[in-house]
Amino acid sequence: MDKKYIIGGVVALIAIIAIAAFAMSGTSTVRAENELAMAVSNHGGEPEAGFDPLTGWATGTEPLIQSTIFKHDGNGSLVNDLATGYTISGDGKTIDVELREGVKFTDDTPLTAEDVAFTYNTAKETGVTNLDALDKAEAVDDTHVKFVLSDVDSSFVHRLASVGIVPSDSYNNETYGENPVGSGPYKLAQWDKGQQAIFEINENYYGKKPYYEKITNLFMEPDAAFAAAQKGDVDIVEVPLSYANETVEGMHQVIYPSLDVRYIGLPVNTETTNEDGIIIGNNVTADPAIREAINVGINRSAMVDGAYNGLGNVSYVGTSKLLPWSSDYTIEDGNVEEAKRILAAGGWTDTNGDGIVEKDGQTASFDIDYSSSDSTRQAVALQFSEQVKEFGIEATPNGKTWDEMDTTKFNQPIVWGGGSADPHQLYNFYDSEVAANEYSNPAAYNNTAVDALISAAMANPNLESSYATWSQVEPAAAPDVPYVWIGTLDYLMFVSDSVDMSDDTHTIYPHGGDIWGNVYDWTSTNATAS
Amino acid sequence: MSSLSKLNPLNSMNLRQKTILLIGLIVLLLVLVYASSLSIDPANILTDFTLRNQPPSFEHLFGTDWLGRDMLTRTIKGLGLSIFIGAVASILSSILAIIMAFISSVNKYGDVLIAWLIDFFASIPHLLLLIMISICLGKGAMGVIIGVACTHWTSLARVLRVEIKEIQTSEYVQLSEKFGKNKFWIAKEHILILVITQVIVGTLLIFPHAIMHEASITFLGFGLSPHEPAIGIILSESMSYLTTGAWWLAVFPGVMLLIIVLLFDILGEEVEKLLDPTKAQK
Repeated sequence: MDKKYIIGGVVALIAIIAIAAFAMSGTSTVRAENELAMAVSNHGGEPEAGFDPLTGWATGTEPLIQSTIFKHDGNGSLVNDLATGYTISGDGKTIDVELREGVKFTDDTPLTAEDVAFTYNTAKETGVTNLDALDKAEAVDDTHVKFVLSDVDSSFVHRLASVGIVPSDSYNNETYGENPVGSGPYKLAQWDKGQQAIFEINENYYGKKPYYEKITNLFMEPDAAFAAAQKGDVDIVEVPLSYANETVEGMHQVIYPSLDVRYIGLPVNTETTNEDGIIIGNNVTADPAIREAINVGINRSAMVDGAYNGLGNVSYVGTSKLLPWSSDYTIEDGNVEEAKRILAAGGWTDTNGDGIVEKDGQTASFDIDYSSSDSTRQAVALQFSEQVKEFGIEATPNGKTWDEMDTTKFNQPIVWGGGSADPHQLYNFYDSEVAANEYSNPAAYNNTAVDALISAAMANPNLESSYATWSQVEPAAAPDVPYVWIGTLDYLMFVSDSVDMSDDTHTIYPHGGDIWGNVYDWTSTNATAS
Repeated sequence: MSSLSKLNPLNSMNLRQKTILLIGLIVLLLVLVYASSLSIDPANILTDFTLRNQPPSFEHLFGTDWLGRDMLTRTIKGLGLSIFIGAVASILSSILAIIMAFISSVNKYGDVLIAWLIDFFASIPHLLLLIMISICLGKGAMGVIIGVACTHWTSLARVLRVEIKEIQTSEYVQLSEKFGKNKFWIAKEHILILVITQVIVGTLLIFPHAIMHEASITFLGFGLSPHEPAIGIILSESMSYLTTGAWWLAVFPGVMLLIIVLLFDILGEEVEKLLDPTKAQK
């Protein structure tokens, strides 16, 4: 311990300043007009197992390299991609999909019903999306594929938009991730693990060809991505909401609403330990008075203004207003007095004067866990904790990794995130069949009336008319407050002024966003001018 | 000039008095930082989203962060935690070092074992061992304290081992043995008294290392939740906002950490001067 530490400290300080100065200085790289460089995560960023839809690449979003049977449009409705039409049988147990003819994979082999059936049968095994209802998928002939369901579930059609189709003949689960073959608008040209993926246009693509012939996506942490944007190294960068007040020269902000809601699970049962030693339930939140008080006491619009930096919309239920099966359910929140009244009526009073209420020797205190790598969830947890304290509930924020939360997720309230364009997510939120199962129904909510509504909606063979039943699920469940819904997030991007992302045609953004959903419509503003 | 220098009370003091004054001042400053950090209740470091990312001003001397929290209070709270962890960890490692040194003095096998242990611990990079130990013990301040304590005893133990060996060969120790005094009595009455200076100075000099390592380990994200005010966490969080020009998030906490570490270092050196007359003449 001598001068070297002093020198070391000074050097570190200078290095920090120098790095900051370097990051802010501008030297931009020249790219061709029809080339794009991006730094977007598109749910999770770099796919660990490669660009394989059967191991989780782009589930429910535009996979770029592969095609899907259907796609979701900006209203959450299904539109054809590989399909040209579909019929659901009278008993709701068979879905017949007619496929487009003449589609070819990038290795020049034709895409037929057999590939579709193979993809879905394998996806059921690998479990990339919930295909429990699927018994098997069969190719009837080259252009007809039949999905046989074991349980009636009309919402299953939505899951036909979530998995990219891979070729059955050449698929090898060990090599496919690095050398994907698909029929999407782009093909993978290069993947430098940990750094970037380069997509080049697929000349044989059957649909509308995108204007941009080459897309480079850089895998970066948000601060590095933002620095790259400032230097002009990237044209599109996706950043956390805490960057909302920043500006970048030559770029504009693009903000899209999403289905992606942040919510806090409040386990509804008292604590029990299951056979794996996992605790299910929470003795404090098991009391309905606690859950109701939190629901009316917290101020959601203050959270959207604060933790979301103003970019989002308050939610009282888990289904976004953007979806056809949303409901009008709403409550008056931000009412601290009402929260106190509910707590007092439920027998919770502050007997020892520490500002936290108690009942039968139990203090109204619990942890609220959040993913320590997510700054928005951290802000939600902190603001939630400060707000509930006003009416006498102590929620101690705890930053953890998902591995750590795996053991506590059914016991401690967690800041969750989710939102999909498939009504089946209501089953995952509320149905007692999936109570405390993986990431489904973490509150272990169990209500027969709600279960019955979900079954009725799934049993209706007509997808469109089933939405009316789906929309009744949340108003029935919400008064029990298994979840405190905070609000849907907007997605914030900085986009070069020379790029037109076609704001009118962007698809509906599920959890994680779907930035490439309308990549077909993107153009360069220079191109339209000339 | 000469009249001015007579007015300066420092000039009328001898080196010993100056040293004591300096030690007093440093201790006062450190106690002040620690006391003010104790007076801050972390539950009162509230978010205020209307005051996000404010540069330093008279209201917020160190500026505010992305959640509108006052950085001065967070920094002081973080430094308090650093001093606390540093104190507990360095005292623990000194105790460990003393125990190890005495075990090595018992017999040849003990000495070989301790020498091996010292080499073993010294050969693994501190930070790696620290990370592993604190993960094993579960996260939180406890893991960091034990981790730092278990990695920083080696240098002091090495010094003490040599010192004790030297004392053991001296005539009065051998005389005591001949008189039939047991080993424990000799350790207590002859050896401990002579090495106590080394122990005090050694403990103080472990302090800066302990604080630096506490900052490094929290910087790397091991130990504490990202909303808790530890200096390392504050610094790693500031990295994300440097690109947006929020320099104050890194500079002030960083400089404060540097100052605290230097203060402890100077304190250790001055105390050594005071306790070890041969050093004071240099």
